[in-house]
Amino acid sequence: MAAKRHVIVGGGTAGWNAITAIREIDKGASEITLVADEAPYARMVLPYYLGRQIGESHVTTAGPQRLAALKVAARLGRRAARADAAGSKLVLDNGDEVPYDDLLIATGSSPVRPPVPGAEGANVHSFWTLPQARAVSGGIKPGSRVAMIGAGFIAFTILNALVSRGARLTVLEIAPRILPRMVDDAAAQIVQGWLEARGVVVRPGVQVTAIEDKGGAKVVKLKDGPPVEADLVIMATGIRPNLGWLEGSGVEVKAGVVVDARMRSNVPNIYAAGDVAEGPDRVTGAKAVHAIEPTAVQHGRVAGANMAGREVAYPGSLLMNIVDVLDLEIASFGAWDDAGAEAAVDLRADRPAYRKLLFRGGRLVGAILLGRTREIWATNDVGMLKGLVYTGKDLSAWKARLRARPQDIRLAYLATGTARELLPQTLLGGPSVPERDVTVNA
Amino acid sequence: MRVLKIIPERCTGCMRCELACSYEQTGTFQPSKAVIRVSSFEGHTSYAPYTCPQCAEAWCLTACPVEAIGISPAGAKEVADDICVGCKLCTIACPYGTVFYDPDSHKAFKCDLCGGKPACATVCPTQAILYVEAGTEDWLASFAAERALPAALAGAR
Repeated sequence: MAAKRHVIVGGGTAGWNAITAIREIDKGASEITLVADEAPYARMVLPYYLGRQIGESHVTTAGPQRLAALKVAARLGRRAARADAAGSKLVLDNGDEVPYDDLLIATGSSPVRPPVPGAEGANVHSFWTLPQARAVSGGIKPGSRVAMIGAGFIAFTILNALVSRGARLTVLEIAPRILPRMVDDAAAQIVQGWLEARGVVVRPGVQVTAIEDKGGAKVVKLKDGPPVEADLVIMATGIRPNLGWLEGSGVEVKAGVVVDARMRSNVPNIYAAGDVAEGPDRVTGAKAVHAIEPTAVQHGRVAGANMAGREVAYPGSLLMNIVDVLDLEIASFGAWDDAGAEAAVDLRADRPAYRKLLFRGGRLVGAILLGRTREIWATNDVGMLKGLVYTGKDLSAWKARLRARPQDIRLAYLATGTARELLPQTLLGGPSVPERDVTVNA
Repeated sequence: MRVLKIIPERCTGCMRCELACSYEQTGTFQPSKAVIRVSSFEGHTSYAPYTCPQCAEAWCLTACPVEAIGISPAGAKEVADDICVGCKLCTIACPYGTVFYDPDSHKAFKCDLCGGKPACATVCPTQAILYVEAGTEDWLASFAAERALPAALAGAR
């Protein structure tokens, strides 16, 4: 029997995890072709490259040697132009055709910029790819004035680096609050106050109308107030999944490629994973795009395992984010913005400390956790909140207690046997293998 | 594999495990940086330590974007400080609450079984923490369920 031909489009987190999952299972028995416009690297650590804590080599996840060792034929610098589902072949941007037995769509997302005059001008950057990170890094000197357009998670991941590089920051956000898709108003207010007390200018509720040049500097014009002058502008105004190339392919696309619990699309030999996939949501049971790193890891592993012939059902992804800014820790899990949920809130007047637990019946469906970094990590609460939301443990008996003292998460977690429920669960049906221990047979 | 087996009924709340753990991990005595942490129950009448169960799924390990977490010869999921960038993905991936972030070193940290000689087990004066050949388990669930009665404690401060 001819070796199965797997074709992976995209070498980011989802694609790379699929490759290692396939090799973990088949030990090199199949053919894997990776089509990617960039060599594989970890976007998630680019903020630390910007902060000069790590060098560029640290960002690489798989160099040529690693690809060769895993028997991956890499078509780097190429993009998929279209998928010919009926003919089971991928057509590349140079016209080459790559036949496959199964295909993984893991093309990730790209940053989007608002359509305002000057958005594509000089010294206006996105921060998403390694070349973009290089450009931002090269443009910053101590004292540089940086205008950050957008105050979402991605913007926040680079605030520490920008401040440590000596940038003077102004953060502009079109929504009425910062971190609009990660925390609620109360938390956003605390974060804004914390940043302002540390010299960061924060202006939510403003709309950029144009970005102009003035004597070598940039001027960000606003509909709702005085303009902001800067030496460098960063556009952190959201991302969009790279799905355009699938038009006309017959693959069902809604917010992302709609996939089942095995990460399989409506076309049986086409899978999708990561930011482009609309897969099972752990909390709601519906399908959703969760464009976050942990989901990309799990999607990739589940897709890879199924492509390698192991039947693995994905229990669903959990929306979650964590970021710290200047030693303030901010985390949210699941349905933190569920307006129909019953909320237990603890807001401290004396210090930046806030937690909100959201219940549906006896089940914790979401949470927001905010506090000084030092205080948060003296607890087990970050991971325990994740565990409680993930398992959907029945906390009926604990609700009143947690409403009175939302600090008692650890007791509720321990007493409800959450760890007991979690311990037998593994994503691929056995102990996880470190990527570096995945090898192929000679 | 040898694991940290916890027998909560034997724990007296002396906190020596937290002190020894933080000393082994950081060189100083600071329980807030211990990776084994003691909970008190029923108005400090009983106690139990809790630490990483070294789970099979290894959520932290699979979540790491730079392969900074590996499996040590002792079988522990272990953070390599020179590779970890401190992005905290492991801390939200872990559903056990046993991967932490150190605001001083800007790295993740967790139980590494002290390279096969866990300090917590060594110093425990009542053998509430044993380092023995066993399958990993939720050692605390029944003990905590009996003692942390939410209804009785509701509203208690």
